[in-house]
Parts: sequence; structure tokens; C-alpha cells
Amino acid sequence: MSYATLKEAFYAEGAVTDCPVYDLHGHMGAYYGISFPRPDAAGMVHAMDRAGVKLLVFCHHGTLMTPDVGNAANIEAVRRYPKRLRAYCGINPNYPDVIARDIAEYDQYPDVYVGVKMLADYHGYALTDARYAPAWELADRNELLVLIHTWGGSLYDGPAIVRQAAERYPHARILMGHSCHGEWDKAIALVKEFPNLYFELCAVLDERGVLERFVGETGSERILFGTDLPWFNHHYYIGSVLGAQISDEDRHNILHRNAERLLAKYEL
Amino acid sequence: MNLFDSNLYLGRPTRGAYAPAATAVELLAEMDRQGIGRALAWHVAQRDVSPVTGNAMLSEAIAGQPRLYGCWTILPPQTREVFRKGEDFFAGMGRNRIIGLRAFPGQHNFLLNRQVFGKWLDVIAARRIPLLLSLENGVTWPMVYQLLEACPTLTCVLCDIGIWGVDRYTWPLLENYPNVCLETSLVALEDGGMEATVAQYGAERLLFGSAFPARYPESAILQLRHAEISDEDRHKIASTNLERLIAQVALEAEK
Ligand SMILES: [Zn+2]
Repeated sequence: MSYATLKEAFYAEGAVTDCPVYDLHGHMGAYYGISFPRPDAAGMVHAMDRAGVKLLVFCHHGTLMTPDVGNAANIEAVRRYPKRLRAYCGINPNYPDVIARDIAEYDQYPDVYVGVKMLADYHGYALTDARYAPAWELADRNELLVLIHTWGGSLYDGPAIVRQAAERYPHARILMGHSCHGEWDKAIALVKEFPNLYFELCAVLDERGVLERFVGETGSERILFGTDLPWFNHHYYIGSVLGAQISDEDRHNILHRNAERLLAKYEL
Repeated sequence: MNLFDSNLYLGRPTRGAYAPAATAVELLAEMDRQGIGRALAWHVAQRDVSPVTGNAMLSEAIAGQPRLYGCWTILPPQTREVFRKGEDFFAGMGRNRIIGLRAFPGQHNFLLNRQVFGKWLDVIAARRIPLLLSLENGVTWPMVYQLLEACPTLTCVLCDIGIWGVDRYTWPLLENYPNVCLETSLVALEDGGMEATVAQYGAERLLFGSAFPARYPESAILQLRHAEISDEDRHKIASTNLERLIAQVALEAEK
């Protein structure tokens, strides 16, 4: 069937072949603050199928919360679903020895990793702290994706810190997870100033009107879709993209084209 | 899908909102755009100006609009601002197509409990009038738990339940209080949350809500359209559960 608009297509079909979705911000597994109905890899891939999500790039909660789980959880899940999953190598600045080992081993997993993930608000060190430097340098050298949690007002990963990181590592492709949530104008200014910075929409889309501002100020080519899966429902956030007052061309950019471009060098 | 929206407001808030509906005509135009047939609305002036002013503005806005039902906002009876001496509050609701109540204890500086509301709680419960409480608007979980402990038969609709999945808060309430329902604008956000809640407690406990203008109605609509539940359950959540609640409301004059 063909439909006049993407909204009609998603409303009717749920998953739309000529609009595959790339989710560039996922997690996996249980997490202390919430009861997830389906947090394992199989449950998440099922959720992806329902909404036509072609690929999820994620970092396991266990990896981020303790080195006792570590990146093994990411490697195991990607190798179980190699057509559907890629991982960010999780970086926890509280364990520099683990970072050193994971960075040294990064190249052993070209089938698993497309970049690194930093969660500074939770780990308690600013993104620019020397403890992260080996990971940033790896990303800068190899033009890797760096998904950083960012939040308005944060001393660890707020707009001022993001600015320093973007200046220092101009070749890293930095995805601002949650787009400096709440400090939208500063996020917009950063994306305008630094060509290596991107908006990421997780926790942005539940507030009506922000996506329109991003697109209005910077166009739609530096905006990436993400859901924190298993936290947030794909159809919910896709619905927000469909509801925003932007064009279907913008929606194609956000839901898949921008990600396809960023991931072009990988065999997916 | 026939949609009856349990959670949207009209009016323009103090702190602004993206493209709100200032009037009933604008709200109906937005509902048409979304395919939402009917709505149980409140007026943001009830929260941001005063319940007295806002209740009157809502009544005036929905007069002559059969697709719109309203919620008035309550205050402690002692100050006689909303529950006025010598006026039949419930008959007034009936005359104005007001079939629900809302409360904003945080913003309006009172406690939503037995000491404050006394017999009014029992009357509201006996008349099966839904009390809609927004967890994003001055209501906390301990408050909800205390209120329901004080009045377990209250028809209570919990709205805007939080960005993070809150099954650990909501499921004990669904288990203990048969007249508690959840509005779906944020149930829909939790991946698999609607399916899990329906499996555990039945579709009867969920009411579709868009949270317009704070959120995109397309979000909750797309999620509901493709939720992995039966079409019968989808239909209940979309409209018939709220129809059922409204049919139970008793607003006849006090004797
Ligand atoms: Zn995240």
C-alpha cells in the first residue's frame, strides 16, 4: 500500500518499509529505578520489529553501572543479534584501568562497536575530566560516534562542558543524548557552532514544540532518533516526530537518513 | 478508532505552551486534526489563575459544545470558594456538563486528605464522580496513597503518571482499589507498559489521554493503534471505559 503521508503510513501499518528507523540511543537489561516489562535483547528486538526499527545502537545498563558486568554484556547481545544491534563501548571514569583495557581491546570488536558511551551525570566526573581522555582520543582518531548523556544545568555534561569537549575533539561525532535537556537554546547554539555535534531526541520528544525549534534553527540533518529502549516506546516517539510541524523530508532525515550517513562506514 | 480523550486542557498557561488551544473552537479544530471525537477537558486557568475563575471559564467555553465535557477544580470546603454556601454544587455540575473533578494541592496550597475534605470525599465517591489527579501537577504518590486509604471507593483517574515507568507505584493501587484508573498519555511512553498493565489488571483500568497541548497527541494515538492487545481492549481504552465512567456519575440535586 502507498500512503500520502508518513503519518498515514505509520498509523495504518505500524512499521513502514520505505521509512526504516534507526534508534541510536538504547540500553538493555534491568535497572534499579524502574520495572521494565521487556528489557532483555529478545524483548527489545521484538519491540523494534513492531515499529520497523532496523538497527539499535545501545549500551547495556549493567555495563554502565558496574565493571563487574562490563562490556561483555554488550558484546554478547550484539553477537546474538548481529543484524539488529550494535553497541557503544561503555566508559566509566571511576575505573581508569577498565577503560584502558577496553580501549586497548576496542579494535578486536569491529562487529560490535560503532563508538563509545559516556554517562557523566551518573558517573560523577565531567566529560572533560582527564579520566575519559583515552576514550575521547580513540574516538577523535577514528571519527567514532560518542553518545554522551547531556542535561541542562549539569556541571558534568551541561552545555558548557559539551562545548569544551566539542572543541577539544573535533573529529569525534558527538551525539548529545537528550540534547542538553531543558537548555534547548544552548543546544541549538552548540549545533550551529560545531559541525561535529548532533541533537539526539530521547526525552526531548515528550515535550511538544522542541523538535520544531531544532528543525527551524538548524534544519533536520543533524538530528538523530533515540528512545533509551527498553525505557521508551518506539511508536510513542515516532508519533511525536509525526506530530511535529515539520515536513516528511525532515522526518525521513531524523528517522533514518542521518543515521545511515553516520553509519555508512560500517558493515551493517 | 473512536477516541474519547480523558486528559487535555484548553486555555493558555502562564509559562506558555507550544500551540495551545485558547478557545473551545480551537480545541475542537485540533481534535478534528487528531481524529479525537470527544474530550473531558479542563481549563488551565483553573490551575494558573484560580479554580473559581477557571471553573467559570471552562463552563462558559464548553457550553453548547456537545463533544466537550468538563472537570471543575476543587478546593478545601472550609474556605467556601468552590463549595459555596447555599449552592447545590452537584446540580451545578450537571447543568454545566461537568462530570469530573480535578485537584492541584501543590499549586493551591492544601492537603488532599480526610481531615480537609471529610464527608465530601464520601459524597464524591458515592456519586461516582471521577477525581482526576495529575502527577505532573502538584500531586505526589504518598498523597494518592493516603487519599485512597482514606476513601478506598473513590473513582480516581491518575493522569500524567510520569516520564519514567512507574508500575511500582501504580500496580499496587490497581490491585487494592477497584475504582482507580490510569490515563494513558504516559503509560504509552513506557515500552511494553500498556500490554503489561492490561495483562495484569485488564483493559478496563486504562483511559486514553493525549495530554494536549503539553505532548503530541500522535504519540499516544500511534502507540494505542499498534499496542499488542486485542481490538476489544483497544476499543475500551480508546473510548468505552470513559463512557462507562460518565454513565455512572450521579449529579441529581441534594434532597
Ligand atoms: Zn540513555
